[in-house]
Amino acid sequence: MIEINNLTLNLSKSFCLDIKSLHIQDKEIFSVIGPNGAGKTTLLNILSLFENPETGRVIIFGKDILKQNDVLSYRRRISYVFSRPYLFNNTVENNVAMPLRLRGKNSESKVNEMLKLFKIEDLKHNNALKLSQGQMHRVSLARAFVSEPELVFLDEPFLSLERLYKEQLMTEIRKIIKNRGITALFVSQDQNEALCLSDRIAVMKEGKILEIGTPEQVFTSPSSKEAADFIGIETVAEGIIFKKEDNLCSVRVKSKVIQVISELNVNEEVIVLIRPQDVVVSKHKEKTSARNVFKAIIIHIESWGLEYKVRLDCGFDLLAFITKQSMKSLKLKEKDEVFISFKATAIHLIKR
Amino acid sequence: MDFIFDGIKKAIELIFSLDRDILDILRVSLLVSISATAIAVLIGVPSGAIIAIKKFPLKKILISLINTGMGLPPVVIGLVISLFLFRNGPFGFLQWLYTVKGMILAQVIIALPIIIGLTVAAFQSVDKKMYLQIIALGANTSQSIIILLKEIRLSVLAAIIAGFGSIISEVGAVMMVGGNIKSQTRVLTTAIVLETNKGNFDFAIAIGLILLVMSFIVNLTLTYIQQKNRRD
Repeated sequence: MIEINNLTLNLSKSFCLDIKSLHIQDKEIFSVIGPNGAGKTTLLNILSLFENPETGRVIIFGKDILKQNDVLSYRRRISYVFSRPYLFNNTVENNVAMPLRLRGKNSESKVNEMLKLFKIEDLKHNNALKLSQGQMHRVSLARAFVSEPELVFLDEPFLSLERLYKEQLMTEIRKIIKNRGITALFVSQDQNEALCLSDRIAVMKEGKILEIGTPEQVFTSPSSKEAADFIGIETVAEGIIFKKEDNLCSVRVKSKVIQVISELNVNEEVIVLIRPQDVVVSKHKEKTSARNVFKAIIIHIESWGLEYKVRLDCGFDLLAFITKQSMKSLKLKEKDEVFISFKATAIHLIKR
Repeated sequence: MDFIFDGIKKAIELIFSLDRDILDILRVSLLVSISATAIAVLIGVPSGAIIAIKKFPLKKILISLINTGMGLPPVVIGLVISLFLFRNGPFGFLQWLYTVKGMILAQVIIALPIIIGLTVAAFQSVDKKMYLQIIALGANTSQSIIILLKEIRLSVLAAIIAGFGSIISEVGAVMMVGGNIKSQTRVLTTAIVLETNKGNFDFAIAIGLILLVMSFIVNLTLTYIQQKNRRD
């Protein structure tokens, strides 16, 4: 769907966008994450033809968009959701209908479908500028999807939303994008958002792409230190909640069962995040209050600043940070059998 | 002091007696200034929008020239237009000198920089991303101007009010281009100058009062439209 090659743009002395190669598949949800000033929005602006790169080729819909003359009909096949909703001083209904009217269509049924899909049909006749932040974001998203775009650019569309509301909206968006077979390019500073939404992720910094891969690949085994520094390296695994007592959920991850404190419900598909500093490694099985204790084999040990980064296999891939002192006293080496433990409260679950 | 109070008294009598001369002056004034404002709006608002939105070389210089034009003395504009419209001048063949058409032309030229300049400022006050969002929704250039115009209609109305205010009250240009011919090109401001010079203070005060009231009514109407559209 999107093929970018050798794209460069000098915006200032200190910033230069330089993307050697980036391919995004048809119907894929692709995220670009990175700190402020990484060049994420610049990339979206080039793809929307708001900015011209100095060199490069961008093939979208089978054509080099940088060389085409009919900008309007290209723009009418895509949608761009900005981080602020930018609504018009008009009713919610008229705001959502705007893209259709601009295309000379006026389909009330499509507008109503969108209002329903984004749960804003009750607000239909309200002035869009008098809504709450969350409602405004819904209107802006409904407006972006009403024209049935083949490609959607999302520039931190959840930036100003509360966490709980954000997670709910993201799950809905993912469902809508997947159901309608839309290709989406999502840009964010927040790795949890990217994890929750994307099929693949790229990490960007200072105009360059450091890393591309599935969420698991990027988050568990980043190939560069810079990428790892930004994402704050973590264990990421996919699982499903199959039992819940009070708030203690049992999550099946590959062949293992992990116990986690979470508000989520049974049968939810989840992503399990375990921070390496929360994992305790011991030589022998000890009595502990931690709910999760597994036997594991050390796959790899690597010096990581003041600590060691230890990659373990406990039925799924797991990372642990161990101080140099502990490493010395435990005398750990690769292929050793050890026990690892972590608390049920130390794990973060993200709804998929 | 007495002549002032006498003047005001007689003026009120004149107004309520619907004096023929005064009605003529009022008719010409309204015709000239409203037509000139309408033409200046039709040219000025779209031009201002395009200047604000499009990127082109020397844009900043053009905007500073327009801003300079906002302060041009009407009498200088009157002089230049008269020179162009004189029988021997480049546009003498139009035979517009000392006609209502010539006066409208002069007033359009006075109002145009004000309306363009304030429209440019109004469009440029919009967040650039709002404009990008409109384009991203699939709008072509004219559609995006119309959508933006709706968003900034209050500021554009302010530009129109300022444009009308500048020409209903000016005297230099209409005097030079119109010639102050009774029942034909005599307007409120030129009539006040003439009657004051003749010592007819009552007539001058009466016309002055009408000018104030008319200016107030037109501005009140525009302001009413403007404030009605304001979101609270």
